Amino acid sequence: MYPVQSWTDVPGPIETAGAHRGSEVDVGLEIDTPRDAGCVLRFSHEAMATVFEVYAVHPDERYASQAAHAAFDLADRLEGQLSRFIPNSDIARINRLAAGECTRVGPATLECLLIARHVFDLTGGAFDVSIGTGLPLLDLDPDGFVVRAAEDGVQIDLGGIGKGYAVDLMAERLEEWGVTTALVHGGFSSVLALDAPAGSEGWPLTFSDPGGASRVLSHLSVRQAALGASGLRKGDHIVDPRTGAPGRERLAAWVVVRRPEQAGATPSTVATPRAAAVADALTTAFMILGPEEIGRLWQRNPQFEAWILPLPAAGPKGGTGLLHFGGAAG
Amino acid sequence: MAGDDDTRKGKAEAGAPRRLDRREVLKGLATAPALGLFGYAWQQQRRYEQARLESTVAPAAPGRVQQIDVALLGAGAQGQVLTDAMLRIPGLRFRAVCDIWVEYNQKRVVNILRKFKHEVNAYVDYREMLDKEKELDAVVIATPDFWHAQHTVDCLKAGKHVYCEKEMSNTLEGARRMIAAARETGKLLQIGHQRRSNPRYLHCYEKLLGEAKLLGRIVTVNGQWNRAVTPDLGSPDRYAIPEARLKQHGFKNMHQFRNWRWYRGLGGGPIVDLGSHQIDIYNWFLRANPSRVMASGGLLYQDPQTHEWYDTVMVVYDYDTPTGPVKAYYQTQTTNGSQGYFENFMGDQGTLLISESELNYAGRLYRDPNAPAWDTWIQRGYVTAPKIQEVREQGDSGAIADVRESVSPDEHKVPVVLRDPYHQPHLQNFFDAVRGKAKPNCPPEIGYECAVTVLKVNEAIEAKQPLSFKPEDFEV
Repeated sequence: MYPVQSWTDVPGPIETAGAHRGSEVDVGLEIDTPRDAGCVLRFSHEAMATVFEVYAVHPDERYASQAAHAAFDLADRLEGQLSRFIPNSDIARINRLAAGECTRVGPATLECLLIARHVFDLTGGAFDVSIGTGLPLLDLDPDGFVVRAAEDGVQIDLGGIGKGYAVDLMAERLEEWGVTTALVHGGFSSVLALDAPAGSEGWPLTFSDPGGASRVLSHLSVRQAALGASGLRKGDHIVDPRTGAPGRERLAAWVVVRRPEQAGATPSTVATPRAAAVADALTTAFMILGPEEIGRLWQRNPQFEAWILPLPAAGPKGGTGLLHFGGAAG
Repeated sequence: MAGDDDTRKGKAEAGAPRRLDRREVLKGLATAPALGLFGYAWQQQRRYEQARLESTVAPAAPGRVQQIDVALLGAGAQGQVLTDAMLRIPGLRFRAVCDIWVEYNQKRVVNILRKFKHEVNAYVDYREMLDKEKELDAVVIATPDFWHAQHTVDCLKAGKHVYCEKEMSNTLEGARRMIAAARETGKLLQIGHQRRSNPRYLHCYEKLLGEAKLLGRIVTVNGQWNRAVTPDLGSPDRYAIPEARLKQHGFKNMHQFRNWRWYRGLGGGPIVDLGSHQIDIYNWFLRANPSRVMASGGLLYQDPQTHEWYDTVMVVYDYDTPTGPVKAYYQTQTTNGSQGYFENFMGDQGTLLISESELNYAGRLYRDPNAPAWDTWIQRGYVTAPKIQEVREQGDSGAIADVRESVSPDEHKVPVVLRDPYHQPHLQNFFDAVRGKAKPNCPPEIGYECAVTVLKVNEAIEAKQPLSFKPEDFEV
């Protein structure tokens, strides 16, 4: 039924450690140290309640550091516009709109909302930044940069897409600086790899069982692509925005979205210039959608690759399996 | 006494038929759905939000507001922040952007403005812009400090109203030329001390300190802006400005262009870049200018090759205020961002901890336990009700106290929230003033008082001894 399906056995019972609040957690996504780790520079910065990092290979450490900080500065500015917790952000203002009211927002907020609405449509509402309060009730005017609410009470939380969007823009900032052998991530749950270090095919990434991070489920080598992750730890739950009921089937999901080839590539529904934002959003949806739905989505939009880890009870007989959609390896 | 009248009126308005004890009043207030947003503050917040709403419901509807043609002079980080705020203000038409970094910042801002359908012309030379853009009503200036005086004077003399970022100038001579030009041309000049238009700061100034005098006699103030270490600002190699253009505009090289704040003759160091915003609030809230300053500062951490100003500064001002002497401390350092930025006003009856940030220290008040109750002000919505711990009925036991787990002191909040980008109200105030509908909240005379106050710090550090201000030092 699925276009491509592969199974990876995960031995033993799922161990869990500690409760983790929220539906979007950083799960088991690790960046392997490249073999010649000595030349990889690493810069860190706190924003959006997590740690953003830039890994870069560049001959001039000071220059790379300045480029990384230009990218971090951008993340801080985006947080000021996108965080619902900051009272004068665009999103906080949207969340206070009564029926018929509108507010003008910045280009970043509008684009983020447009991508969110696009993935909402794509996933039949399984990814919903309004968490069931009515994303379609927001009228987004891309010409006037105005957001209007048709009814009271629409509440937007960009937690499932904002980090990815920031990672996209940060990577573009690095490219402006010519720092192109680089990887950017936000809290390990949104990763964007640019060019790979010399002599390697890609940046080495792993993803692991969220119940026990030492159990590596897969190794990937990634360049010019985004990888997003969502998952549950013990005590977590994720709400299906379509029904309001807790989702019960999924432990974790990972999505790779390739960046579009250089200018001139035909834009497609999934392959937008904001690969990390889309990957971030799709992982959240894939915590909810059934394997058949994900398979159908892949058939229509084969630009992404995904893995889902069902809960043991919901998985196939014979143990917990990792389901894989897309990808050349199959 | 006015206070007693106010108390009775407040209670009558609240419709309380009998005298409630304080705990009941507070409990009632604390559990009311619109926590603290009664009376004045409610009206103020509501009015502020209504005005915002009306302006966005019909952005730039023809005939509703008089259109103002505006240019941005200086499209760097601060120019971009101001642009972002101005794009949300109705009735503005951007006509031009001027910046010498054609290859990067100028292009970025022009692209953003074109997205918002402002057909702007781009310039490197502001004189050419002033020559060609005859329709301009106003210029918003966000260039490096050492350019402010000349840019402002030339724009005013070209007949434009000017909003100029702080510090109004890196020299008092330059600042005086700006004031003279404003007076001579009759054009408006607003200096970018944007807290002067922030609704929360205005509420504190007018109501909490001015009318209610909640802190009693303010005796000390402290404040800070601490920032973590960051590398010097760089720039993408491929977008470097040609050397000739840099030199023509007063910069030795690209590094100095990007990091002008650290160079003597170009900027004033962190005490001016950061401290100026907050020390302006000291002068404003204390209703006085300082009489004396002592300061210690040094270049303790940064590379002296590229940092001419002090990276660490600690200052104590003396003020003779209408209610008595005050000592005010301020520090700024650039090696550790602990606790960020705030201003803390301490009186014998309470404390006001405030910051421009909507996230941290957005306005907290602490009442001294011996100070008169703030119930009146809570009922009017000047401050929020304190967090109430679980109330236990004491009944008629006759005991004077119910002995139990410790109770936290009252913490109140300032119930006014800014919903817009930080610089928007101050820019809005400027454009309202251009339309003749408001007075500028920070005319150059006020900017000058702040410049005198802050620029003296660097002098005092060099002098290694206290320096005095004379009242006439603040006058132009």
